[in-house]
Amino acid sequence: MSHAELDDLAGIALHDDDVPADVQAHIDSCQRCSEAVAAFVAARALAGAGPLVDAPAHVRDEVLAGLRGSRDTAAAEAPPAPIPLPVAPVVPLAATSTRRGVAPWLAGLAAAVALLAGLGIGRLTGGADPAPEAVDPTPETVVGVADLTALDSDAPRGVADAVEQGDTMTVRVSAEELGDDAGVHEVWLINVDGKRMVSIGLLPSGDKGQFEVPMDLIEKGYRIVDISIEPDDGDPAHSGVSLARGELA
Amino acid sequence: MSIIAFPIRTPRYGGPVVTEAVAFDDDQETDVETVAARLVAGDETAVEEVYDRWSALVHTFALRALGDAHDAEDVTQQVFVAAWHSRHTLTPSPAALPAWLIGIARHKIADVRAARARDARKAEAALAVDGVGLAAEQSADHDVAERLVVRQVVQDLPDPRKTILFLAFWEEQSHAEIAEATGLPLGTVKSHVRRGLIHIQQQLEGVRRESR
Repeated sequence: MSHAELDDLAGIALHDDDVPADVQAHIDSCQRCSEAVAAFVAARALAGAGPLVDAPAHVRDEVLAGLRGSRDTAAAEAPPAPIPLPVAPVVPLAATSTRRGVAPWLAGLAAAVALLAGLGIGRLTGGADPAPEAVDPTPETVVGVADLTALDSDAPRGVADAVEQGDTMTVRVSAEELGDDAGVHEVWLINVDGKRMVSIGLLPSGDKGQFEVPMDLIEKGYRIVDISIEPDDGDPAHSGVSLARGELA
Repeated sequence: MSIIAFPIRTPRYGGPVVTEAVAFDDDQETDVETVAARLVAGDETAVEEVYDRWSALVHTFALRALGDAHDAEDVTQQVFVAAWHSRHTLTPSPAALPAWLIGIARHKIADVRAARARDARKAEAALAVDGVGLAAEQSADHDVAERLVVRQVVQDLPDPRKTILFLAFWEEQSHAEIAEATGLPLGTVKSHVRRGLIHIQQQLEGVRRESR
């Protein structure tokens, strides 16, 4: 007959008397099933340990302080990040409200840039500019590309990529068809753990922009590019309205 | 233009973003795997979760192995700081985290024993730590660690299975007594005990596999 069910094997190990006789007979004659019963008996024998004892609270504090210590050392040795960017799960209000205060000004600039775009000046602020590559011998490596799509359909909304060049990491966004609702377009990176996100800036011309980010941000799992539309309400949090999203892969 | 609203004005940009971005289930093992992956990726908040979930296991293990509260606290602290620094060596899988932490704890416990032997300037003791004595201690440690893993596995179970297993395996109550105490049918109690034992065995297998 076929091997016994796990349930019956566990039942035998527990000396339950309702395991069918033919199953019992098979187990007695089958090495594999007998070994499985023996493993359950051994596991049962390991039950009975006393309660786990929590370490005192100061140990937890010391562990976390130990990590912070190592991080501070690392931060002191590393070159300064190109853009100060809060990576804490909760974005400090004070830090972002400053940025938010600039938003209307940036929106004004964006409008001006849009007007000048016809004169060919727009490329100074938007899109990938090939000129620096020609003079900069540092090779650039594309570490991830994302097709941006709408959230409620697969309708294309442009592309984004992350490019490493020397010691800078740049996320380049080239979005399209984001609509013309009032508000500025803000770019976020959502961690693939789904629990954390950071804002990396505003799309100055409405749909194209590049953002220098800390080198390890992508590596830490912040790979989902999200574009939101933000009302001018002074609230630094994500508005909850995403126009496009895609994962850098 | 397509807009999907999601309620994001929560203190930690919580759940709703998760469900939009990545599909998760509530399965415990997936949680463990996720927190392990975050740890490997260098997410410090993962250390807090790992600590909160497994520090009692590590601390109790050190306490039993060393028999000294102060040494056990030191070992616990060292294990989690070392876990952070050597996170690149962790391969995320459901059983890997506890197995890995216990492995680190074994090393730290051995360090404390070696230091004790040196401090006492007992050449014999130092030799014993390197030889026969060490093997005996490690074998005892192994048993203690597995018993504590089983304790944690059962503690982490949802009720009523947790209560039923504690009554069956810790209080040594019969299935009939448990049925009486919990008001559950006898067949249900039997089923919970069997499934619980299968779960314990599978978790132990996982930890052993990862410890190799």
